[in-house]
Amino acid sequence: MRVLVVEDEPKIAAVLAGALTGDHYEVAIAGNGEDGFFRASAEVFDLVVLDIMLPGRSGLDILQALRQQRIHTPVLILTARDGVDDRVCGLDLGADDYLVKPFAVPELLARIRALLRRGRPSDVLRLKAADLELDLVARRATRGERSLDLTVREFDLLEYLLRHHGRLVSREMLAHDVWREPRRATPLDNVIDVQMARLRKKVDAHGTPRLIHTVRGVGFVLREGEP
Amino acid sequence: MTRSAPSIRARLTGWYSVVLFFMLLVYAAATYLAVRHEFFEQLEDQLHDDFESAEGFLSPAADGRIVWASDRYRDPDEDEDKGIDVWAGGGEPIYRSRASTSLPPIALPAAAAAARYESLDVGGRTWRTLTASTLVGGKPLVMRVSRSEEKLRAQLAEILGVLVLGLPLVVALASVGGYVLARGALTPIDHLAAAARRITAERLHERLSAPNPDDEIGRLTAVINDTYARLEASFDKLRRFTADASHELRTPLTVVRGIGEMTLKDPRSPAEYKEAIGSILEEIDRLTTLVDTLLRLSHGDAGTVRLSPETLDLRNLARDVAASLGILAEERSQRLDIEAPEPVMATVDRLVLREALTNVVDNAIKYGPSGSRVLIQVSADRDRAVLEVRDEGPGVPPEHRERIFDRFFRVDDGRSRQTGGTGLGLSIAKWAVDVNGGRISVGSGVPHGSVFRIELPRATASSRDDDSLVRTRRGEHT
Repeated sequence: MRVLVVEDEPKIAAVLAGALTGDHYEVAIAGNGEDGFFRASAEVFDLVVLDIMLPGRSGLDILQALRQQRIHTPVLILTARDGVDDRVCGLDLGADDYLVKPFAVPELLARIRALLRRGRPSDVLRLKAADLELDLVARRATRGERSLDLTVREFDLLEYLLRHHGRLVSREMLAHDVWREPRRATPLDNVIDVQMARLRKKVDAHGTPRLIHTVRGVGFVLREGEP
Repeated sequence: MTRSAPSIRARLTGWYSVVLFFMLLVYAAATYLAVRHEFFEQLEDQLHDDFESAEGFLSPAADGRIVWASDRYRDPDEDEDKGIDVWAGGGEPIYRSRASTSLPPIALPAAAAAARYESLDVGGRTWRTLTASTLVGGKPLVMRVSRSEEKLRAQLAEILGVLVLGLPLVVALASVGGYVLARGALTPIDHLAAAARRITAERLHERLSAPNPDDEIGRLTAVINDTYARLEASFDKLRRFTADASHELRTPLTVVRGIGEMTLKDPRSPAEYKEAIGSILEEIDRLTTLVDTLLRLSHGDAGTVRLSPETLDLRNLARDVAASLGILAEERSQRLDIEAPEPVMATVDRLVLREALTNVVDNAIKYGPSGSRVLIQVSADRDRAVLEVRDEGPGVPPEHRERIFDRFFRVDDGRSRQTGGTGLGLSIAKWAVDVNGGRISVGSGVPHGSVFRIELPRATASSRDDDSLVRTRRGEHT
């Protein structure tokens, strides 16, 4: 999978490159708008991460030019926190998703995975990790021999963690995808933490190896062994 | 302001003079006419007296003719301004005084008809005459008495002259007086303007003084002082906010910097590095939330928030919030109850108002003691929909109720970082209620705790039909 990152701020570009390489993507970086547009139209990429605020040529401009040339590579745009209009404008011009700076890296990776997965049918009926098993049709969860008595929210949460098995899940992602709230807020953060603690108590009880881990300052991850 | 003050002065004086001029003109004209009328009446009374006394001079002679007996009294001929003419019924003159010889004789048939007054101009002199018929010794006579109008007209002319010359003089004097008075009345405004100009942003605590607080200037001064008081309050608020905001922003920055410096000082184990970075990320998270919230509030201040209002039942909103925050109450062994006997409709932006309620309920859970009850009440009076959130916490002291919705305000300064809030929750709630056209207030509960009250304009139940429509459109959009 090849990803083009169009970002003029070297530190952010380096972070993105590092994170994407870590997830086994092949990364190309363009440091300005002209270069970004040239590479996006001349080479073949599976996805473009496009900053809106670029020197020379704006991200929206590049996006428009790409779509006019019938290049339909999925584009994820990065906007400043204040740019509500940028966001709407970007989606109107054919962007596939957006993230607001400052963004959490795990969320960026999750969004990229979702974009690359798009269009492929999801035929998963069961999710598994170690001896934890989720039956999505019957909405039943078991850990080894033990059946887990989960609330609806807890089941959704566990399903989301399993779908992102081994990958970091931020509070933003949970707020957005599990609680379906348009924005993260302090009360919601508390709700997420409490809910997560309860879920962990049910899943990781009775001396079984821990599956749900908290990564301080980042979020949560479901994986076997130490995070 | 100084440029317009003289013009007010001039305009006042101008209007004053014009009005005065016309009033005096009417007054003078009325006076003149009344005096003139009175003079003529007096003259006619005199003529009447003359007529009666002249009758006394006439008596029948031995031959039966009526004769003028001038020798009995002083001769009227000596008076230049008076005249008496007497004619017999046949028209032959009986007596004509010297002064009246220049007057034309009278037409007898007309004179016989009725007594009448008239003015006659002869040789540049005007005479007032009374002509009437009378009987002396059984014989009909026609007699005309006359007096010169000269003296009367001279007096009238004198009065007219005084009035005509006096009027502009009086108006001119009054204008000068009026100008001086107007200036006197308006000078305090100039003083006020000068004093107001001296009060700058740095000296907002100063106030203007008025010699008499009950007059117009006093009231104006009170209004200006009131404005300064509010201005000072908002300046203070802004100053406090800036100080609080920089404090809140600086604290996480200090932590991040300190952890970074401490960690790099000596070699550490991977676990320690992890711990340090995690701690830094937590602070960054806090900063991000803070900046995000401040930005939203400033959008609110700037009035650039786009709302999508819909008519909804506030009971659903309460249930929604209770469902979402119920787990926090459970954690603290609190009961989170809803009391909502009947549907209460309001037209609001659901997401924004939900945020308000979420923050208020979260606040109630946070400050309510473990095992207590948090109650959400939905009710309505005639035109208001009301959401009330009651807790059994320590309550908000009356002196803090004004400021509880201020940004970064905390009743207890020490709690900020432990409770993990940004100190902006209730500000956001207030903002969210305000943009929805409502108001939020806090009072004390019975017997203790606090009651947060959100009042919104109530929507009529008939508009409920739009609800599903709006929601569908929103659903499509997201």
